[in-house]
Amino acid sequence: MLEQIEQLLNSAKTSLKDCSDLKTLNDIRVEYLGKQGKITNLLHSMKDVAKEDRPKLGQLINNARNEIELLILNLQNELNEKTLADKISKEKIDIFEPSKQVEKGEIHPLNKVFDKLIDACVAMGFTVLTGPEVEYDYYNFEALNVPKDHPARDMQDTFFISDNILMRSQTSSVQVRAMQSLKPPFKIVSPGRTYRADSDATHSPVFHQFEGLVVDENVSMVDLKSMLTELLKMLFGQNTKIRFRPSYFPFTEPSVEVDATCPSCGGKGCKLCKNTGYMELLGAGMVNPKVLEMSGIDSKKYSGFAFGPGVDRLAMVVNKIPDLRMMFENDIRFLEQFK
Amino acid sequence: MKVTLKWLKDFVDIDISAEELADKLTNSGNEVEEIIYQDKYLKNVVVGKILEIEKHPNADKLVVCQVDIGRPIQIVTAAKNIKVGDKVPVSLAGANLANGIHIENSKLRGVDSMGMFCSIEELGVTDYDGDANGIMILDDDAQIGQDIAKALMMDDIIFDINVTANRPDCMSVLGIAREISALTNKPIKEQNYSYETSSDNVADYIDVEIMDKKLCPRYIACAIKDIKIEKSPRWLRSRLVSVGIKPINNIVDITNYVLVEYGQPMHAFDHKYLEGKKIIVRPAKSGEKITALNHNTYELDGSMLCVCDEVKPVVIAGIIGGTNSCVEDTTTTAILESAAFERASVRRTSRKIGVRTDSTARFEKGVDTSWQSLGMKRALNLVYSLNAGTIVSGKIDTLQKEPQPRQIDFSLNNIFKLLGIKIEQEKVLKILNNLSITSKIDGDTLSCIIPPYRQDIEREADIAEELIRIYGYDVYDSIASKPLSGTSVTIGKYDDVLQTARKIKYQLCSYGYYESVNFSICSIKDREKLLIDENDYMFNMIKIANPISEDIGYLRTSMANSMFNTVSKNLAKKNSEFRLFEVGRIYIPNALPLTELPQEINMISFCSVCKNDDFYSLKGIIENVLRDYDFNYKLDYSRKCFLHSGMSANVIDNDTNAVVASFGLVHPRVVKNFELIQNTLYGEINLDFLAKASLKKHSIKALSKYPPVNRDLAIVCDEEVSVEQILDCVKKSCGKLYYTAKVFDIYRNKDLGNKKSVAFSFKLQSMDKTLTDDEINQVVNKILKDLEYKLKAVLR
Repeated sequence: MLEQIEQLLNSAKTSLKDCSDLKTLNDIRVEYLGKQGKITNLLHSMKDVAKEDRPKLGQLINNARNEIELLILNLQNELNEKTLADKISKEKIDIFEPSKQVEKGEIHPLNKVFDKLIDACVAMGFTVLTGPEVEYDYYNFEALNVPKDHPARDMQDTFFISDNILMRSQTSSVQVRAMQSLKPPFKIVSPGRTYRADSDATHSPVFHQFEGLVVDENVSMVDLKSMLTELLKMLFGQNTKIRFRPSYFPFTEPSVEVDATCPSCGGKGCKLCKNTGYMELLGAGMVNPKVLEMSGIDSKKYSGFAFGPGVDRLAMVVNKIPDLRMMFENDIRFLEQFK
Repeated sequence: MKVTLKWLKDFVDIDISAEELADKLTNSGNEVEEIIYQDKYLKNVVVGKILEIEKHPNADKLVVCQVDIGRPIQIVTAAKNIKVGDKVPVSLAGANLANGIHIENSKLRGVDSMGMFCSIEELGVTDYDGDANGIMILDDDAQIGQDIAKALMMDDIIFDINVTANRPDCMSVLGIAREISALTNKPIKEQNYSYETSSDNVADYIDVEIMDKKLCPRYIACAIKDIKIEKSPRWLRSRLVSVGIKPINNIVDITNYVLVEYGQPMHAFDHKYLEGKKIIVRPAKSGEKITALNHNTYELDGSMLCVCDEVKPVVIAGIIGGTNSCVEDTTTTAILESAAFERASVRRTSRKIGVRTDSTARFEKGVDTSWQSLGMKRALNLVYSLNAGTIVSGKIDTLQKEPQPRQIDFSLNNIFKLLGIKIEQEKVLKILNNLSITSKIDGDTLSCIIPPYRQDIEREADIAEELIRIYGYDVYDSIASKPLSGTSVTIGKYDDVLQTARKIKYQLCSYGYYESVNFSICSIKDREKLLIDENDYMFNMIKIANPISEDIGYLRTSMANSMFNTVSKNLAKKNSEFRLFEVGRIYIPNALPLTELPQEINMISFCSVCKNDDFYSLKGIIENVLRDYDFNYKLDYSRKCFLHSGMSANVIDNDTNAVVASFGLVHPRVVKNFELIQNTLYGEINLDFLAKASLKKHSIKALSKYPPVNRDLAIVCDEEVSVEQILDCVKKSCGKLYYTAKVFDIYRNKDLGNKKSVAFSFKLQSMDKTLTDDEINQVVNKILKDLEYKLKAVLR
């Protein structure tokens, strides 16, 4: 009997070793563990065994059955895995075929720069304000210390609608409206569209400005410099340095032109910066006390600074756009390059 | 404005290079735009004297000349206007002439030629009375062998300077010299302008009357008699030419010379033409005419200030003189004018008649009353030293007293506070004193005596600028501090419209739309192309009074034309299958002509020329955009003139009936007008409306533990019955068990006639239990009954 058990176990192991599919496996199970199976039959033959040997032999047969059951289960799991793996490998698709979704569009390079500037300034405590593009002469010029027939009007060719209504030539008009309605201290920026009667490779009759104004006690040129350094670093990289050059704007005193190290060569000099290492980017200055007073702000107590880059120019420098006009032609082949 | 290095040296010693000087000027606010070396094309060109002219052995048209340039050389030439003894410019090997010719030693038809005789064109000379086509014949006093640049007095260096509008005092050689004096710490040279006068008095010649002292605060007149009109000496002509002024005759040249040197425009009248022997400065009478020195005739009006005699205007004040009284060859007695005219008046008149002269360039920036006296003195000195005539003694001056310097006290601390840096007191005093602002410091008080020509200095900010521009802005290069560290804490805030736009822009990008930036000014022709009629709110377009082109002469009243033009241009370049959007404004006037500001409405427009897009693609976008906002709207067929009336919709706010958005297929005629494609889809949304609308607030319901039940139904109903009505009916029929319902198919065919089949699915769900078949069937029956009763729809 003992021998029989041993033999049965060995033969089962041999069959299982050769088995490579689920059907054969099932046959093996029926052969050994089925109702008419070899193990079952062995159990039935227990009745011929001496009573005192029965528990021990019964135990051995059960052990053998458990062992075979476990082997079958293991092999079954193994074969299942294999079948799935075969199936998966046959179901392979071509992942290099084109995707189905609509290809995403892009924000215009001009507005990407606008958004960056706005986000940075809001984070620094500035309030974003907008104003009319068709504007009274008063807000665009007179309240900015440029009376009618002042020579400073020659600095820009303005589109007029009537004697006292014009297309704003600078977003500074929004600053005047702000100064007259807000109480200092305040920090504002006014992004927007501006107009001048000028059209060539570097001038567009419609262009865009982003003006900032801070009015507070104790504001100095140093604040202006550090603020602008921060903004331009954000656009052109952490190594950007800026410098001031004297200039004249009627609404600031002192007035400066602000140059930044050329983002293309980092200040070494290249074609883009005409070998100067610097790029002229914006005008800025300390708000002229006359302008503060005209808007009802006490110039003895408060001072301020203002800055106003042309955003079109910034977008051109950031993206190395060769011609200003490309920005407004909206050729899809141009826009697609900003993907 | 141009000045020359030698001219500047008359007023201040300069011992630095031209480049260094230009840098200094630029870095202190007077930007040097260009440095022009007058002798650029004159190197290796010398004065030669022709000693012999012989026939060329091998050529009929050439001659062989022996020339003395300090040493003998031989030159072969084809020139016809030369003769033995002439002094001519000779360009030698290495010369690069103004017309691009490079000179080398050569052989012409076998005969050696060691250079070339030059014409004025080849030398770039503009002031010459001889034959412009032939070789330039030099004056007999030219020194043989001398560099031609010296001989022609063309060895100066010219600076073209951009003088800013706040510094009219820098519009002259003296003004720039003063700046150089401050920058290089060298004094301004005293000028000794003396002259002798005759014994008679100017009052015997002329009387001056000023009608408006505000427009003409000062007028000085002097008389010169026994004038000999002739050419000015070469040095004077050469200086005028170098700064871009054409020499005329000695008297006129003197007035122009003073204009450049002192910034004081002057005028000279021929005394015999001044009727009544009187100068009257008055506004023109309407209808008066004057023929100006530019030979144009101008009709004047009461807004224009004129210098007149008793009968007629003789000068448009500060702008241009008339031919009726100018100095000419026959002039023997002249009246010299040195006056101040109000800048705004000069500017206005100059704009009105469209004439700008060297005189207006000075007056419209501002010529104050302290300059006339010096200008006149210099002019008379030149008359005297050029021996151009006899100066009559005395002058008529309508201002009794010379303007005096102003004394102003400033707080040094306030100045430093503005600059954010401190400058040593010694340095402050030095900078200001060098600028002729005599200053002293007592504690915090900086007392300044400001010369009359510095009208721009009034406040601490002005002194701060004077200090820092001379001290040097490079002081800030090395200063770094935390941005805005000294300012009050403020909370940043976005703009509602811009943020609304930004959100929708990113949504459109995800649908494959690219952002475009179009001009908001357009052609009036676009109105017709969009089929806008005169009753439409888009009809009244604001006109720009001074457009640079008719294509951009009006403000748009719709986003559509800008978009269609951009799409059209893309299509013309064979770009296809693209989608664009734009954020911008339209400008709707309340009335024309404009007396108040128009409404500026912020819009977002979008356009697709993709094959697979249709009305419903746009509808999906609009629905997704509007879903975030808390307002109820309905759809209606759009009446926008440029959209297809049967295939476009308006989104209408239920509360106000405002049109929030319009979208759909573009009208076929508009497609043709703008050269678009048939399937052009366009939509626009009013951003101002959305920016004001509140965002949806959500109150979240508990989720059922019991499974939902899905059912599909297809019904047949009249074409007029809308999907919205069906779903609304289904919702009501479901009552409390309603979870969702949506249409998934709409089907039409001939058999259905004027009806359509609508298939929809709905979900039922209870919060309390799993629904039984009985309960579900009850609901289905109710839905069908209600649909039949309310909408005459039957189960298919």
